[in-house]
Amino acid sequence: MNDALCEVVREGIPDVVSGRSSGEGAASVEGHLVTCEECRAEFELARTLFASRPRVPARLAARVVSAVQRDRTTRASPWWGLSAAAVAALALGIGISSDSPAMRDSEVPNYAYEVEEGALWLSDDGLLAGAPSFDALSDEALAELLDELAVGTSPGGSL
Amino acid sequence: MREDDRLGPEPSDSELVRRGRSGDDAALSTLVHRHHAAAYRVALSLTRDDDAAQDVVQDAFLKAFRALDSFRGDAAFRTWLLTITANEARGSLRKSGRRRETALEDAGPVRSEDVDPAEAAVRSQESARAREMMEQLPEKQRMSVSLRIDEGLSFKEIGQIIESSEGAARVNYFHGIRRLRELLR
Ligand SMILES: [Zn+2]
Repeated sequence: MNDALCEVVREGIPDVVSGRSSGEGAASVEGHLVTCEECRAEFELARTLFASRPRVPARLAARVVSAVQRDRTTRASPWWGLSAAAVAALALGIGISSDSPAMRDSEVPNYAYEVEEGALWLSDDGLLAGAPSFDALSDEALAELLDELAVGTSPGGSL
Repeated sequence: MREDDRLGPEPSDSELVRRGRSGDDAALSTLVHRHHAAAYRVALSLTRDDDAAQDVVQDAFLKAFRALDSFRGDAAFRTWLLTITANEARGSLRKSGRRRETALEDAGPVRSEDVDPAEAAVRSQESARAREMMEQLPEKQRMSVSLRIDEGLSFKEIGQIIESSEGAARVNYFHGIRRLRELLR
């Protein structure tokens, strides 16, 4: 097994199973699978997961479209009365002033809003399932962990 | 090239956003049809409830479209929408007072309505089991696996949606995949 190659292949597997990647990229992934049992197992799992994506309710799109149309014909004053930035802040649930430089300059309004304390996230990963929270780790630590996960001591062992 | 930016008969997301801003409702409808499925799966992954997820999707689109003037075309509309969706879903969970612990206890395998019975029958037991196991993953791992496999998002985009760095999103994904393989063995 070729560690560097496996890493590249595993990054690309989701795009192959979904058909988003085709041609040369897909061919090189598929070629590797013939000789690598670990990557093949991962491919099978990804394919199984993709094939069982939750079904989307058939009427959802129509429901949303009519809600949007209703909204656009009736919202005349309250929403138009606000600046675009304030509306964006509301949309993202952040309480910042409408002239915040962060809102003006960022590519996307702002992802870095605070998650309300005491709510959802205190019970996140660590407590819930004994998994480590990866957010506090340095890039180096993440890279190390990744090496281990992607191609290191793989479950089931290699041949 | 990003799928969104391809040339051809299908207008790109940024083109649709531009049209939507100037009052073209049809452009907004196209955006809904293009992205409601991904938004629904994100919402479902967080709320674990079909009704709540549908409400979240509707609210997310309304809020995104109301804020369309502030959306920068150089970012992907989809990532922006899914971030709003995830935030709405978290808000919905808080509002309903439904704590994660409770949600986990009564979360069976999620089934949405309108499943074609024939198709459902064909779906293998293995698939159902893989999805059930996915429910057991911690939230960020579950979201990372779903966003990468179901929606084809990059780790950078996933990081934005799950409020983590790109590196953390990548580790969450591979950790989740490895865990699933162990659970399914
Ligand atoms: Zn390999």
